[in-house]
Amino acid sequence: MFFNSLSFALFLPIVFVLYWFVFNKTKRYQNALLIVASYYFYSCWDWRFLFLLVFSTFLDYYTGIQIEKSKTATASKFWFWLSVIVNLGFLGVFKYYNFFAASFSELLNGVGLQSSPLLLNVVLPVGISFYTFHGLSYVIDIYLKRIKAEKNFVDYSLFVSYFPLLVAGPIERATHLLPQLKVKRNFDFEKAKEGIYQMIWGLVKKVVIADTCATYANAIFDNYTSMNSLSLILGAVYFAFQIYGDFSGYSDMALGMSKLFGLDLLKNFNFPYFSRDIAEFWRRWHISLSSWFRDYVYIPLGGSRGTKLKQVRNVFAIFLLSGFWHGANWTFIIWGFLNAAYFLPLLLTNKNRSNLDDVSLHWDIHSLKVFWSMFSTFLLTCVAWVFFRAKSITEAVDYLQRIFTNQKFSSQYLDNERYSYELLLMITVFILVEWNSRTRIEPISGKYSGLKLTLCLAAIIALGTYSDYKEFIYFQF
Amino acid sequence: MKKFIGFVAVLIVTTGLLLVVLDLLYTQVYLHSSQRGKIDYVYNSKARNYDVVILGSSRANNHFVPQLFEEKGLKTFNFGMSGGHLFEADLLLKLMIERKYSIKNVIIETDLNLSNEKRADGISAKFLPYIHDSETIEQQFSGEPDFIELYYIPFYRYVEFDNQIGFRELYNTMRKEPTSYLTNQGYHALANKKGRMKNDLTNLKPIHNKYYEGIKRICAENHINLIAVMTPMCTNVKGMDYFEKVNSIYPEIHNYENAVEGDQYFSSCGHMNDAGARLFSTRIIQDFFSKKQ
Repeated sequence: MFFNSLSFALFLPIVFVLYWFVFNKTKRYQNALLIVASYYFYSCWDWRFLFLLVFSTFLDYYTGIQIEKSKTATASKFWFWLSVIVNLGFLGVFKYYNFFAASFSELLNGVGLQSSPLLLNVVLPVGISFYTFHGLSYVIDIYLKRIKAEKNFVDYSLFVSYFPLLVAGPIERATHLLPQLKVKRNFDFEKAKEGIYQMIWGLVKKVVIADTCATYANAIFDNYTSMNSLSLILGAVYFAFQIYGDFSGYSDMALGMSKLFGLDLLKNFNFPYFSRDIAEFWRRWHISLSSWFRDYVYIPLGGSRGTKLKQVRNVFAIFLLSGFWHGANWTFIIWGFLNAAYFLPLLLTNKNRSNLDDVSLHWDIHSLKVFWSMFSTFLLTCVAWVFFRAKSITEAVDYLQRIFTNQKFSSQYLDNERYSYELLLMITVFILVEWNSRTRIEPISGKYSGLKLTLCLAAIIALGTYSDYKEFIYFQF
Repeated sequence: MKKFIGFVAVLIVTTGLLLVVLDLLYTQVYLHSSQRGKIDYVYNSKARNYDVVILGSSRANNHFVPQLFEEKGLKTFNFGMSGGHLFEADLLLKLMIERKYSIKNVIIETDLNLSNEKRADGISAKFLPYIHDSETIEQQFSGEPDFIELYYIPFYRYVEFDNQIGFRELYNTMRKEPTSYLTNQGYHALANKKGRMKNDLTNLKPIHNKYYEGIKRICAENHINLIAVMTPMCTNVKGMDYFEKVNSIYPEIHNYENAVEGDQYFSSCGHMNDAGARLFSTRIIQDFFSKKQ
C-alpha cells in the first residue's frame, strides 16, 4: 500500500475518521487504533514479516526494561548487546548475507580457490532498516541513561511501527516521538491544514517531479552506452531530482499525515540542493539518518575531537556506514566513500561548519560566490548519485568517463520517446518554487494559498506520471 | 473539526471541478485535431471517397503500399495501425461509415489478430477523447471491463492513458506538431532486416472473432467489397498451421503467408521491409484489382 495509491487514499480517511470520532476518548484508544492501523498497513506488504516486526519490537521493549532494571553493569551490558546483536543479526541475514557470501566467494575465486556462494532466497522485509534503527536508538539511549525505558507496550510498539514512518522513515527518536504518544492528542485545525498542504506538496514531488524524472533517468541510464555527453549529464541531473522528489516527497507525506493525527515527526529534508558545501548538504539531506549516525556512531567514536587522523577515520566510518545502510552493493559504499572524500577538505580546513546560516542571494558579487558554491556542491552530489544509481562500479565509472570522452552535446531522442532536454523547464520551475519557499515547510500556505493549492492539484492530475507506476526508491532500503 | 471538514469538502470539490474542467479542455483540443494520427484524421473528417481502404495491425500498416494502388488509379489509404487489434479496425470502419465515407473495397489483414478480441490499449486510447461525443465509440467500449471508469469519471481516461492522450500529446496536438502516421497515405515502410527472423505461433489459436464478423457485416450492409487476407511471414515460423486453422474457421480469408519468400524481404519475422511490401502489394493488386484496369 503506497502513499500514492488508491488503497491508501481509502485507508487514510478511514483511520482519520475512526481516530477523531470513535477512538478519541483517551490516548490509549488513540494509540490502540494507530497500532492496529499500522500493523494492517504493514501486513499489506507481506503479512509474514509482521511477525518479524512484532518480534523486533518486543525484543527492544523487553531488553530496554531489563537494561534499566539491571543492577550490575555486566547485566546491563548483556541485555544491551543482546538487543544490538539480534537487531543487527536480522538486518545482516535479510539485507547483507547474500552480499557478503557473494563477495567472499568472488574473493576466493580471485585467489584461485573455486567456490560457489551459498545464497539465501529471501525477500528483504520492507522497512527493516528503518524500524531496526528505531529500536537500536531506543536501546542505546536507555543503556546510556539518556531516557527511561517505556513500560507501556502499545505506546512503544506505536513508536516503532507508526505507519507513516514505518517503511521509509523518518527515523524517529524515542525522546521526540514517545512523549507525544504519552498524551491524548486534541484536534488542531491549523496543524491539520498544514498537514494536508504538506501531503499535497509531497505528492507533487513524487508523481510530478520524481516519477517524471524517473522515465528520463531510466531511459538514459539503461542505455548509457549510446548516449552523448549532454544526455549523460542530464541523466545524472534527472536522477538527482528523481531521488530528491521521491524521498523528500515521501517524507513530506509522512510528516503531513502525522499532523492529521496531531503528531510531529522529525524533519527529514531541508532543501539540500541549496547547500553551499557538502557538509551543509548532509545537514539537509535525510537528516534523521545523518543525525542518527552522528549521535550513535560519529560522536561515540570521538567525533571531531582528537587528532586529525582520528577525525578523518570517524568521517569515513559514518559515510561508509551510511552508504552500506542503503544497500548491499559496492556502488553504495563508493557513494558513501565519495561523500567522505568531498567532506575531507572541509574537515581538514575546519570549514565543515561554516555554512550554518540561511542561504540567500542578492544582486552582488558575494551572491555570485554563493551561487557557485551551491552549483558546484550540486555537481559533486550528481557525480556521487551516478554511483548510487548505476548497477555496478564499472558501469558508473564508464558512465562518467563517457561524459568527458564523448564530447557531443546535441539533444537525443530517448527510449521513452522524448528528447533528453525536455524536462529542464519543469525542473527549473520546481527549483524556483523550492527556492522561494525555502524558509517554509511547504510552498502552498501563505498568500494566494487557494490558487497555489489549485495549481498543485492540477499538476498532480495532469502532469503526474501514472501510466508507468513507480514505487518509492527508499522502500528497497 | 467542523472547519476542517469544510476545508476538506472544498478540497474535494476543487479536485472534482478540476477533473471536469481539464476533461473538457483536453476533449476540446482533441476534437479540433485531425493531423496527429489515423483516428483523429477519421474522427474529425467529413465524407471522403476511397477505392481501397486498408485496415489491420502493423502487418497491414507495413505491408500495403498505397502508392502502388494509386498508380493503378485506385484512391487508397492505409489505415493499418501498428499494435492495433480488430477491435480498433472495426471501430475505425464504423466511424468512416458514420461520416459517410464512400468506400469501394476494404482490405483487412486478418491473421494473428484473429486470435483475440481484446482491445489494444495503446491504440484504442486514441478513441477515448471522443467517448462522450460519439455513440459509436461509447457502444464499442461499453462491453469493456473498465467502461464505467472511462466513461463516468472525468479525466480518468487521460490519466490512465497518459502516454497516448495525456498532457504531452495534448501539448503536441495544440502545437500541431506533425507526425509520420499520415504520410505516404498511411503506409509505414520498414527498413531492411534487423529483427530476429523467428516466430513461434504454436500458442496462438484463431477464434470466431466478433470484430471481424462486425467488419463483414458493415461491408455487406454498405455494399463494400471486403478482401480479407493473411499477410506473409518469414520462413522460420513454428506452428505455421495457424494459417490453416484460420482457414478452417474462415475459408474466405485469402492466405498469403508464403506470397513473399526470402529473409531479404523481411525486417522482422512478422514484418516485411519496403521491398517485400512492394512485392506483396503488387501481387494483391494483380490478384484483386487487375480486372478493374
